[in-house]
Amino acid sequence: MSEAAPMLEIKNLAIQFGGLKAVDNLNLTIKKNQLYGLIGPNGAGKTTVFNMLTGVYKPTAGTIYLDGENITGKSPAQINKHGIARTFQNIRLFKDMSVLDNVKVGLHNQKKYTAIEGVLRLPRYFREEKEMDEKALELLRVFELDSEKDTLSSNLPYGKQRKLEIARALATNPKLLLLDEPAAGMNPNETAELMDNIRFIIEKFDMTVLLIEHDMKLVSGICEEVTVLNFGQELAQGITTNVLNDPKVITAYLGE
Amino acid sequence: MKKTTLNNIITCGMVLVLFIVCGFLSSAGVLGSKLSGLLIPIGIYIILSISLNLTVGILGELSLGHAGFMCVGAYVGGVFSILVQDVVTVSWLRITLAIIVGGIAAAIFGILIGIPVLRLRGDYLAIVTLGFGEIIKSISNNIYLVKDVNGLHFSFASPVSGTDAATAVDIFKGAQGIKAPQDTTLLIVVIVLMISLIVIMNLVDSKTGRACMAIRDNYIAAQSVGINVTKYRLVAFVVSAAIAGVAGVLYSHSLAVLAPKKFDYNLSILILVFVVLGGLGSMRGSIIATIVLYALPEIFREVGDYRMLIYAIVLIAMMIFKNAPYFKDLFEKFKALPVFDKFRSKNKVKAVGGESK
Ligand SMILES: Nc1ncnc2c1ncn2[C@@H]1O[C@H](COP(=O)(O)OP(=O)(O)OP(=O)(O)O)[C@@H](O)[C@H]1O
Ligand SMILES: [Mg+2]
Repeated sequence: MSEAAPMLEIKNLAIQFGGLKAVDNLNLTIKKNQLYGLIGPNGAGKTTVFNMLTGVYKPTAGTIYLDGENITGKSPAQINKHGIARTFQNIRLFKDMSVLDNVKVGLHNQKKYTAIEGVLRLPRYFREEKEMDEKALELLRVFELDSEKDTLSSNLPYGKQRKLEIARALATNPKLLLLDEPAAGMNPNETAELMDNIRFIIEKFDMTVLLIEHDMKLVSGICEEVTVLNFGQELAQGITTNVLNDPKVITAYLGE
Repeated sequence: MKKTTLNNIITCGMVLVLFIVCGFLSSAGVLGSKLSGLLIPIGIYIILSISLNLTVGILGELSLGHAGFMCVGAYVGGVFSILVQDVVTVSWLRITLAIIVGGIAAAIFGILIGIPVLRLRGDYLAIVTLGFGEIIKSISNNIYLVKDVNGLHFSFASPVSGTDAATAVDIFKGAQGIKAPQDTTLLIVVIVLMISLIVIMNLVDSKTGRACMAIRDNYIAAQSVGINVTKYRLVAFVVSAAIAGVAGVLYSHSLAVLAPKKFDYNLSILILVFVVLGGLGSMRGSIIATIVLYALPEIFREVGDYRMLIYAIVLIAMMIFKNAPYFKDLFEKFKALPVFDKFRSKNKVKAVGGESK
């Protein structure tokens, strides 16, 4: 069998906001089932990379391949259908909907019944709604949120909201999961749980993960490889321990 | 059974029982002619407010031109009925056809407005629907439609030229409007109301409704989970417009004469007030608010000038009761009283039993 295409391949990716080159000439390759870290100081352009990968921003240059397919310039919804799901740095839940319904929205494209079937309550509505309930509960169980399925999502504590966002993203059945600072605002206990969850997801759901994180300990604990961004430019790339000991990286983080 | 399903059944039952009881009381002569006369308009206004709630409460888009869609339905359906009056003589059949025609016409206007506007992100819909409502009213004010032996004659000016004076019949007379056959009965209003209510509630409690609420709560996140935001915004908006059109048909067939000036800005705002005070997204709330706020000023007509004062006080009181944290706490405490314990535990047992089956 020939070598499979990498799960994600970014080539010469760049975006400019007015005069600001927020990301410039970024190259990055992630293999299937890898847990890859994207780190860098505040304002380095990490979230901007996520926004380009998910179609929120259109890159000014460069190409993005997902599993061998060119997805550059597609809309956010199309990109999700191609297999990229994400979470957000500033949590974006459907706040006036229940925990269960948040995940069911994620399952939207997996089920095919039409609006008319829903209004007329035809058999497929009941069958597929039941399947959605079961699948959503299964995902909530991974994050121990199943007991709170009827809670309004905005009433969850912060750490659980972050987990719910991951569950919702997983519901879309992605090939690649992008997590933007998933441990932000979590206490050490919750962070440890989260790390277990992420490892579990990669195995159980055959997932590939690209993760933005500020917490260096956390990154060195679970990411095999990382890319360091600084002022939109790649500063270093490679095996996590090597990169984190690179004097260039240390200076960038501590300041000169 | 699911909690939402149960709640929806309760809402439907509530409306049905209310109208059946009032219907009987009115036919038995207990209700008096003034109150009896309110039943049909209240039913129509409920249809309007639940349909607007779909746009405002579920989709989260402000629409200031709901009266415009009602107007389209009212006149298209009304003119249709006048034209087929001699062919279709059975009144329930005639109004059923008029409802279909008027609903489709309003839906088409919904699509025409929705396609360009709902692709944009932001509050453009409010501005465009506001304009639409006014434009439709102004256009209706200047429509002249005359029928004679040669067929239909249409003009934006009166008198319509080229008509055969001997056989000419006015169908649409500009600012004076139309005289549609009075086919609307309480039974038809209640049937249409129940169908609208069930359609809206079933739509909300389905993939489509969840997609709309997701877009309302977080546009970017909805896109990120693969929801085609334009499509679902359009679906909800057009359904809302179509149902408003249907309400319009019932309206035009319930009045002897219907002039375009009825469909002004105030009507759109009045319906919006019902929806907002009843609670965004809550169909039961819209129904209750419509009944209370529509019936009150009519019932208190005798007290004359104080009528509007009472109306204002009720509006303010409803707002306070709904939103003040103090009253919310009070309500929660009230629900937590030991008196209700028996009821609560009973409910729980029932729920568990239901699940194990
Ligand atoms: N839509 C935009 N318009 C203009 N500038 C933007 C836009 N989005 C991001 N930027 C700029 O791009 C730069 C990178 O921002 P980004 O949010 O990607 O940083 P980050 O690495 O995620 O930082 P943090 O660790 O604080 O989250 C910042 O200078 C930011 O101000
Ligand atoms: Mg960021």
